[in-house]
Amino acid sequence: MDRTVEIVPEAGLHARPASKLVQTANAYDATVRIGHAGADDDELVSADSMLAVTGLNAQQGDEVVLVAEGSDAEAALDALEAVLTTPVEDEDGSAAGAEDAEAETGDTEGDP
Amino acid sequence: MTTLTGIGSTPLSGVGTARWFRPDALELPDRPDPETVDTADQRERFEDARDAAREAIQTARDRAAERVGEDEAAVFDAHEQFLDDPQLVGQIEDAIDDGTTAEHAVSDAYGDAVSQFEGMEGRMAERADDLRDVRDRLLRELLGVETADLGSLPDGTVLLAERLTPSDTAELDPEAVAGIATVTGGRTSHAAIIARSLAIPAVVGVGDALLDVTEGATVLVDGEAGEVVLDPDEKRRESVSELDAPVETERVSTADGREIEVAANVGRPAELDPAVARGADGIGLFRTEFLFLDREGPPGEDEQFEAITAALNAFPGERVVVRTLDVGGDKQVPYLDLPSEPNPFLGRRGVRLSLSAHADLFETQLRALLRAAATDGGGDLAVMVPMVARVEEVEDVLERVEGVAADLEREGVAHAVPDLGAMVETPAATEMAEALAARLDFLSIGTNDLTQYVMAADRENDGVADLHDPLHPAVLRAIDRTVRAGHDGGAWVGMCGEMAGDPDLTPLLVGLGLDELSMSAVTVPAVKQRVGDIDSEAARELAGEALACETRAAVQSALARE
Repeated sequence: MDRTVEIVPEAGLHARPASKLVQTANAYDATVRIGHAGADDDELVSADSMLAVTGLNAQQGDEVVLVAEGSDAEAALDALEAVLTTPVEDEDGSAAGAEDAEAETGDTEGDP
Repeated sequence: MTTLTGIGSTPLSGVGTARWFRPDALELPDRPDPETVDTADQRERFEDARDAAREAIQTARDRAAERVGEDEAAVFDAHEQFLDDPQLVGQIEDAIDDGTTAEHAVSDAYGDAVSQFEGMEGRMAERADDLRDVRDRLLRELLGVETADLGSLPDGTVLLAERLTPSDTAELDPEAVAGIATVTGGRTSHAAIIARSLAIPAVVGVGDALLDVTEGATVLVDGEAGEVVLDPDEKRRESVSELDAPVETERVSTADGREIEVAANVGRPAELDPAVARGADGIGLFRTEFLFLDREGPPGEDEQFEAITAALNAFPGERVVVRTLDVGGDKQVPYLDLPSEPNPFLGRRGVRLSLSAHADLFETQLRALLRAAATDGGGDLAVMVPMVARVEEVEDVLERVEGVAADLEREGVAHAVPDLGAMVETPAATEMAEALAARLDFLSIGTNDLTQYVMAADRENDGVADLHDPLHPAVLRAIDRTVRAGHDGGAWVGMCGEMAGDPDLTPLLVGLGLDELSMSAVTVPAVKQRVGDIDSEAARELAGEALACETRAAVQSALARE
């Protein structure tokens, strides 16, 4: 089964979201492949490879297709969709990025 | 004196002795004849190296988590995933099976991956750094090369390197390292972010010119200007000494005896010790967001209680101002399911959210706070509510505090009602400051958001960056109004924000009548030192002059004359 999802995290499918995706994919009894929406079957990469997933260079707003096989396929797709649609800042963002913002906007009072 | 320019990445300066960090060149032995390679032996060597590297990554992760926080530590999760990447591991094992030694197999496979990322832009190029980091760990294990001990560099070292990996940077001792300069790298690289969290002055991306700096040279790293100065003259060195001001652990007073409380802003537990070490008189802003971010659900009452008492225990007898949850608007917490808003900065954030959609979270937080207020031996708790615009909000908060106190009383749980205050960051609050102060114990001015709202200039929008300026007379007048009205209402008035931590502005802020200044711990010593030179009367005159100005430029020249 497959599902097409639009990437919500600001940094796209880079370090933290990618890391979370790989962790999630590994947690289910399913083989999951991922690629840009409209990709041919042979262009899909394994969702349990950090290298392959970050190598997609998928940005915020890009649509990706997830293809899952195995007994947990549906649950895996649900979980992966949640990862891809949760608007976390990536790890260049989050606290670190917040610090960037602090340095750049002078926010040490920590306004959100 | 020669000046090299790069990208300022930690806005601090430091001066010291240049020391080059050249991770031992990892030279591989010649490739042996595939026929002579013992495949099983090489597989085992690879597995052993991988286990050792995994352990080292986990150690680095723990250290980073402890020193700079969970968020920065997360990069090492990605490293671990690269280490166990099925694609890479598969490629390495296949090569070994074809008669390649483990080190060559690792070097080849990671080399391919690195070059794949190297050509890409921005963040993707940083993945190449991460991959190199993992590869070098593996190769060092396989080749038996000792890792340079970055954790025990001599005091006053300015570390120069072609590039620094996140692991290298997390090892550095901020007390010993006066600065970092690297040939490559950008502001948002993980290494730069970690250096910033450790408050190590840093300039990155200096380029090949840095390579000519000789070992032992005296080097000044100015992370604010983005400059690396070789053999800096006396004048330039003095610009650094301001931030290297001696730590003063006692309270400070102006020359004529007016006491100014100089406190630290703290965003996570790891920052407590540095704040104590820098001589902060207490905490003027303890953000509680770290308890809520990067997790699946909200923290429980006990967890919050523990975190708050830890902050109190770090400052026995001193005031610790804890800000209630300040999320919403542009800052998302996934499990709160906040709707996206067209104007997040004008939307449901801070106290607005605490009083409406997430009253349950607010109640839990208040319970933890009231319980912490009753603990002995630690600092004096004060609680601050963010994003107040109306008197009604404060009255609502006070009612809820009463309700929580009554619940705890009924349950027989030890509790006390702490001092309560509001963060003044909306023009509505500056206008209503006297009425707010009459109901509260203190006000604290959040200058960054206040500037944004007074000037109607989005903090994050580069196009209006020149409008986002706390030194504009409009902002100064809002601050002045708040301080005077706050005092009239019977409250003390502080300021938490970048503005409070700029030692050049200390006389102006003292002249405006602020009772407390709270800032990043790094600038506490410099501000404390500055306070001692201030004459209150002269400061008041300076403030009066600045308030009478009509332009920012006029304010600036008034400050320059001072």
